Formats: sequence, structure tokens, C-alpha cells
Amino acid sequence: MKIKIWGARGSIPSPGPETLRYGGNTSCVQVTLSDGTIIVLDAGTGIRSLGLALAGPVPRINILLTHLHLDHIQGLMFFAPAFRPQSEMSIWGPEAPEASLRDRIARYISAPLSPVEIRELPCDVRFMDAPHVEWDIGPARIRAASVTHRGPTLGYRITEGDTSLCYIPDHEPALGTTLGDLDRAWISGYDLACGASLLIHDCQYTDGEYPDHVGWGHSRMTDALMFAHRVEAERLLLFHHDPLHTDDFLDVLHGSAMTGWDALGGDSACLEMGAERREIELAPAQAR
Amino acid sequence: MRSVASSYAGRMRPIATLDGTVNDEQKPLELILARNLLSSISTPGFLVDEHNELVFYNDAAAELLGKRFEEVGRLPAEEWSAMFGPFDDGGEPIPVEELPLVVALRHNRPSYARLHVHSLNDERHEIEVAALPLVANAGGFRGALAIFWPIHDGEGTAA
Repeated sequence: MKIKIWGARGSIPSPGPETLRYGGNTSCVQVTLSDGTIIVLDAGTGIRSLGLALAGPVPRINILLTHLHLDHIQGLMFFAPAFRPQSEMSIWGPEAPEASLRDRIARYISAPLSPVEIRELPCDVRFMDAPHVEWDIGPARIRAASVTHRGPTLGYRITEGDTSLCYIPDHEPALGTTLGDLDRAWISGYDLACGASLLIHDCQYTDGEYPDHVGWGHSRMTDALMFAHRVEAERLLLFHHDPLHTDDFLDVLHGSAMTGWDALGGDSACLEMGAERREIELAPAQAR
Repeated sequence: MRSVASSYAGRMRPIATLDGTVNDEQKPLELILARNLLSSISTPGFLVDEHNELVFYNDAAAELLGKRFEEVGRLPAEEWSAMFGPFDDGGEPIPVEELPLVVALRHNRPSYARLHVHSLNDERHEIEVAALPLVANAGGFRGALAIFWPIHDGEGTAA
């Protein structure tokens, strides 16, 4: 399983000289399975660059949306494969009582916000509620589960063989509780992330920033670390960086995170900050 | 692990696997959020899951009931109702199916009652109870939440 980060920023794109290294594009992660199947996690502005990289004929593209906040769908309208008649796309996302996934996304891809309507997209695109049971995409098994954030929000687990990626970019599992001593059954996202080979998790705020943002649906650093510790993730990638966090700031945050991770008994070599264009290959267990 | 078909035939957000099993351990998000809310307030509150099993009550409720939840643990409806013995003004036990939590869960509607309980340290309290069902965004019962309030001597019934 190969993973490439196309956008690691949260909330709003934040391009500029101060975000060159970690990047300013919002959430988008490409997962390429052993048979070449492509799964795209979220469609933030990072998906635009991914689309440009998928220049030639590609198999069906599978997009898993965690939720429909703008920073997770804004790139859809600029995803080049969507404008190719020969493209096939399947888009999964959280269900909601008031409207279908297609209709909710159409609120963005329609006038006056967009010059193009969903029905005008030339590609073959299907919108589907994420199933309530696991399902297969290519050689991988996919699981979706609701997690603590504002509005209907999913986390995903992609498992191929004995390798698993868990993606929970927007998550506030410690809202109203403390994760350190909480029974695991009561931890949002626990089953989804348990023992993952790689956990990509929300770390929008520093501990100092968090008190002004309680309930906004995001994690402070110590909660992200504690969550990863409790679920016993093998590797952790901190994600969904606050738009105010510059490269230098994130370097410092990374240092603090490594200290905290070390204090929890983790291997600091297994902790990293999400950075645009970063590529990670998850090897099968016997090779790790 | 139980069969998906038998226990989650409704619109259940996963934790179900392709081999037809479901993890009993992980609580649904709606229960997690309800528990976190109860943990954060000093209004006595009680939480049951979709099987009507007591899964949590907070410290404020523990003051009325006489023991912390951690000392009591998860209990099926017959046990938790018998343990706290809800009874009416005449001292008669109130049938389980008439308890607000059970009404909320079984009939999918809010429910209110004024009743008496005896605590585990043998004190009696008259309380008002308001219960509401927890229905997930995508549909399907997750459980029910009850808030209760002690009535002190001389206080009338709430309007």
C-alpha cells in the first residue's frame, strides 16, 4: 500500500512562503493498492494536484469523503479526471437525514458557487453513502465509522492483507472526557484505529491553543498522541494543520510531539508531521 | 460477537464486518457523546443502550443512587430497575415498561414521570425523570438518556 499526501492543511488553503515545506493545500491523501487501485481520501484542494498527476488513462477512482466541510470537498470541482468523459469515479461519504450525498455535494458544485453543475460533469460518477458494513475496493477492505466532529463525519480504515491505514483527519475524541483512563469501548474511533499500521490523525491545535477551540471538532497535540497510544497505532502521522501554523511553527510542534510520544513509550521515528507530497509505503507485516 | 442480522438489522453505522459479526465493545458515537455530556454536567443523568442495558450514570446521579457507576457496572433493565426500585406514591413498584427510559426506547418518544427510588445506601428520594430516545443521524436507535431531579419536601409537581 502506497500513500501520498496531497494536502495536509485544515480549514482553509494557506499558501505562501511560510508554508512551503508542509504545504498549504487542504486534506487529500492518495492510497495506491497493490493492484494499482486508487483510493483518494478526501477531496480538499490537494486533489487538484493529484488530478494533474493522473494524466493518462486510470482505472476507476474511488474517493472516500470523511465529511462535507469545504476543506474536504473544495478540490472536487478542480479534479481533472472529473472532466474527462472516459473517467469513472465512485464517491462515498457520510449519510445524512436531510439529503443524499449527491445533493449535498451539489450545493457546492452548483450556482452561484460554481460555474459547473454536477449533472454537467462528463465523467461517469456515482455517489454512495458509505455502507454500514465493511466493503471491498479492489484488494482492500474498507471500514467506515462515525467519529466525534461537528456534523456527520466518518473515519476510514483501509486494510490490504495485514497492512492497514486509518484516516481520521477531523476528530475530537477527548471532547468532554479524558482519553488516558477511559474504557476503550467509549473512545470515539477506537475500533477503527486499533493497531493500524499507520494512523493519520487530526492535530490541529497545540495544547495552548485548544482551550479557545473546545468543541470545534479537532484535537490538540496531547490528545492526538494519547489517542494513537491508546489504539496502539504502529505509526502516527499528525495531520490537518491549522492554517496559522507556519513551517517553523510545525517544526517546533513536531519536536514537542516527539517528546510527548517518547513519554508515552512510543518510538519517535514512528511519528511524523503530515507534509505535502510526502510518500509512504506500508510494507506487509513480515517485512516490517 | 453477535450476528449483524439479529441485532443490527436497522441502519447501524458499522463496526460490522463482512463475515456477519459485529463488535459489541465499541459504543456507537451517539452514546459516546451522550456519556461525555453527562460526565460534564452536574445534573443527574442515566444512559441506557439500545438493548435497554444501563451503560452509564454520572456522579450527580450517583449521589442520589448511593453508588458510583463504576461500583455497579452495566446492568440489564430488569436488574437496574429492581435495584433502584422505582415505585409510585402509594409505594407500589412501577412496571419496567412504564419507566420513562423504557418508554423512550420502546416507543421512540420523550417521556416524563414523577416517581420514587431507593438508593443503594437505603435512602428514599422522590424524583422527576425526563427521558428521550437517542436516534442516530442516519436513523436507528442508539439508546435513551434520562435526566432526573430530586424533589424536596414541600415542592409541588412541575407543570
